[in-house]
Amino acid sequence: MTDPIVSIRNVGLRFDRFVALDGVSLDVTPGQKIVICGPSGSGKSTLLRCINGLERFQSGDVFVDGLSVRTCKDLPKLRLNIGMVFQHFELYPHMTVLENITLAPIKAKGLTKLRAEEVARHYLDRVGILDQADKYPGRLSGGQQQRAAIARSLALEPKVMMFDEPTSALDPEMISEVLQVMLDLARDGMTMLVVTHEMGFAREVADQMIFMDRGRIVEQSGVESFFGAPKADRTKEFLEKILVKF
Amino acid sequence: MIDWKVIVASYPLLLKGLASSLQLTAISIAFSFPLGGLIAVGRVSRRRWLSFACAAFVNILRSNPLILILFWFYFLIPLLTGKNVNDLTSIIIAFVIFFSAYFAEIIRAGIQSVGYRQIQAGLSTGLNYAQTMRFIIMPQAVRAMLPALVTQCIVVFQGTTVVYVIGYSDLLHTASQIAERTVRPVELYVTVAVMYFVVCYAGSLLAQQFERKAAR
Repeated sequence: MTDPIVSIRNVGLRFDRFVALDGVSLDVTPGQKIVICGPSGSGKSTLLRCINGLERFQSGDVFVDGLSVRTCKDLPKLRLNIGMVFQHFELYPHMTVLENITLAPIKAKGLTKLRAEEVARHYLDRVGILDQADKYPGRLSGGQQQRAAIARSLALEPKVMMFDEPTSALDPEMISEVLQVMLDLARDGMTMLVVTHEMGFAREVADQMIFMDRGRIVEQSGVESFFGAPKADRTKEFLEKILVKF
Repeated sequence: MIDWKVIVASYPLLLKGLASSLQLTAISIAFSFPLGGLIAVGRVSRRRWLSFACAAFVNILRSNPLILILFWFYFLIPLLTGKNVNDLTSIIIAFVIFFSAYFAEIIRAGIQSVGYRQIQAGLSTGLNYAQTMRFIIMPQAVRAMLPALVTQCIVVFQGTTVVYVIGYSDLLHTASQIAERTVRPVELYVTVAVMYFVVCYAGSLLAQQFERKAAR
């Protein structure tokens, strides 16, 4: 077994009296695709934000590439290894798509502008919106914006990509173009942690399915057993609700 | 009788006074705006002691009249340090410190209007906090707060008139001296009012322009 690229060790986090994460442990090995689902407020997004240190947890630790997030003195450098895609894209509205993508490679990684633009165009091409490079995000459709945001993360050439409900804010007809990009990424061997309720996508790419509830991992298993024979009642209940059958 | 000849005779002096007022305004803004920016960033910082210190600075200054702050730097600091500071320097220091508190509040509101999710996006790409602020948050914040900033600049311009109390020759003080000398207060104060109006109204038109742009 290879060493995990991300190792979450008994992470606990509470906001005042609300327990957001209640002793979560999880290993992500290189190349693995893990899909996390669960009701809102179950701690899925919070868990992702703990991995790249956007959220400070109170107990346990997370190791990224062997480095402890808790004691890390250089979080910006650690974050270069972890791409993150947000529900609401979070493109910078005052910059063109190309500038959105080249900002961090230039300022955080020290690439020249020329080289950064080269890299940016490569990834824009990969997500299929090279022709939108010089537009402002406001001019793009939701699906195009999210693809631009994915390209922005990819341009840093991270070891892990995290997706936080990447299609939840999209109009239905734009969901598939974003999922397609993620699917291609998965096939190219990217290590992925995806919070989503797109179960079709999960069945297609996931090695591991995780169900979270009230800050805990309730169920963790392969796709077959997760959908076929979920162990916990809470998982069954949840799956019945989101896999609507008429 | 109203006699406008006194204005014709004294307009070079009045213009010089206006220039001096504008210069005070420009220098004050040039320093208090960036200082306000730093204080605003400090106020939204997660470091408790820093945000507390910046909030204290803002609240203390905003709870005192400008004229008192000016007194502090003009009379009290030289007294306490035993050093003589020239008029312009103490005026500028007082203005910069006083108005930076107001700029800080405007900028803080602007930063908070951009929202923490953009900060998280910037941080997640490996930018540090300062870079995120500078390249992502501030440009958007400045756009959102331009109308308020321009309005504040007008307030600074009007505020410069307090230098009257220490006899610095700005527009108002120059006018009052001429008025005293020529015994033509009506003509002079009307003229000065028109001059202040022109500058300030031009400023508010500019602010409206920005507001319309921001609304689009």
